[in-house]
Amino acid sequence: MNLLVIFISAVLINNFVFYYFLGLCPYLGVSRKLGPSISMGMAVTFVLSLTAVASWIINHWILLPYGLDYLQIVSFILVIAALVQLVEMFIRKVSPPLYQAMGIYLPLITTNCVIMGLALLAALKNYNFIETVVFGVSAGIGFTLAIVLMAAIREQLDLADVPRPLRGAGIALITAGIISLAFMGFSGIIK
Amino acid sequence: MAEKTRKQEFFKGLWGENPITRQLLGLCSVLAVSNAVINGLAMGLAVTFVLIFSSLIVSLIRKIVPNQVRIASFIVIIATFVTIADRTLAAYFPHLSKAMGPYVPLIVVNCIILGRAEAFASKNKVSRSVIDALGMSGGYFLTILLMGLIRELLGNRTILGYPILGKWFSPWVVMLLPPGAFIMLGLIIAISNVIDFKIKERQKRV
Amino acid sequence: MNLATRMIVTLTSIGLISGSFLAIVGQVTKERIIFNKKHEIEMAALKVVPGASNVKMIYEERDFAIFEDRDETGNLIGYALQAAGTGFQDKISLGVGVSPDLNTVLSLIIIDQKETPGLGAKITDEISFLQYWKNRDCSKSLILRKPPVDNPNSLAPNEVNAITGATISSQAVLNIVNEAIKKARQLQAEGKLSERH
Repeated sequence: MNLLVIFISAVLINNFVFYYFLGLCPYLGVSRKLGPSISMGMAVTFVLSLTAVASWIINHWILLPYGLDYLQIVSFILVIAALVQLVEMFIRKVSPPLYQAMGIYLPLITTNCVIMGLALLAALKNYNFIETVVFGVSAGIGFTLAIVLMAAIREQLDLADVPRPLRGAGIALITAGIISLAFMGFSGIIK
Repeated sequence: MAEKTRKQEFFKGLWGENPITRQLLGLCSVLAVSNAVINGLAMGLAVTFVLIFSSLIVSLIRKIVPNQVRIASFIVIIATFVTIADRTLAAYFPHLSKAMGPYVPLIVVNCIILGRAEAFASKNKVSRSVIDALGMSGGYFLTILLMGLIRELLGNRTILGYPILGKWFSPWVVMLLPPGAFIMLGLIIAISNVIDFKIKERQKRV
Repeated sequence: MNLATRMIVTLTSIGLISGSFLAIVGQVTKERIIFNKKHEIEMAALKVVPGASNVKMIYEERDFAIFEDRDETGNLIGYALQAAGTGFQDKISLGVGVSPDLNTVLSLIIIDQKETPGLGAKITDEISFLQYWKNRDCSKSLILRKPPVDNPNSLAPNEVNAITGATISSQAVLNIVNEAIKKARQLQAEGKLSERH
């Protein structure tokens, strides 16, 4: 029950893009075409799940038992950077087609605030191991949903006659605002 | 390209290369914590602190650090200053720290900081890097402050908690919510584009 | 020095310097941060039982804690329950004061919430919500009165006024309180509260 609440809340109610404003750089940069944004979403979901596991282990087995919580930010960012490197090398070795599909997005992910945000939020919310993993996967699904929705809209927007000052970031942000408004309709569905 | 004067180096961050409206970097914190002026102020100060000190240190050690481990070293330096800012806020301003949630630690992945370290401070003299950092954080500061002013005024009728608009004004609650943040920032970027077009047209005529 | 050693030396020294810096900052701020966290909840625990002059935590689990509130002469005058649960948007954390027999709600404080400003966030506000929580009979489960009534006296002893336009937030608060009282009662039945009288 609790896990379902975490899932629904991370995908719909407190969506990482529309509620926490995380991952806006790839959201504004990549989400112009539908295909690449699906690959990006998958890559992010994959790394998010791994980060959830890694950050929980570091936080609960190393940082908290030894009272090293002041090293939290440094260790999280280093682990994320190392993890992304490892994943990139692994995918390149094991599955070249998959690497071609999402490899170019992997380096971008290191400085993606979704990943760091997940590690920090899971620590802040004091989730246990299973909850953290579910939170990571759901956050990834929520991010994918957001970026795919946005790409689908922007493919249409490219054909529309947008006033010159609003072109690019302006209209993208306003669109995001309207989707975010629609997502607010999901608040309260767990009650 | 001719070398910029120090004044130009400072002012480019405020307008021409403003990190938010021009470069679209570090948007998450601007959107998230600009629901009240006081949060915007605190966030602006935290980013300014981290940006200036990390630019200073990166510029100081730019000749010692081997190229291959450049990014890793920058990240450690930035994370150190972010932790200092975060712990100080949590210890001495617990309410502000709670209101800003994870967004202070998230400065560490804010693209403005690493971007300036990589693109500017690692290639320039200390004084120039600090001036650049001052300009960039100034640009960030002004944008988040403007967002905070508009959102708090329209969403809550107040500025810094002091009532400004009277009871006749029914507050636009949506301004305090995420959609309000997205739409407001979109409009601010559009308005700054309009002003920019006007300036460019005038320059062309001259 | 060749490149590999230079890389290792630079990274290690940067790591060491920043690590020791952080250790100092960590030490300096640690006590205050722990104090801030404890202080906020203890202040709430003190406030929800009128007349209490000191509190002591006697039970703690995730999202739930019990404090005993004593007056100046050391008499037990009530318990403060701190509990958290899902609201309209995110977690709501609150403190509720109850009488020693756990049959009367003395008052309620919202410690932390992220409900919609202007609607659900009104649960933190004395005039529109919290005043209806004073001295409620909670020997049975509390129930929500909706639509809310203007006169508090026309509420049944175990009824609490909802907020117009924020029924879900009001209901969430009510559920958290009912759940907390149930837990406290169970602990009392197990003898975990009474032995400290």
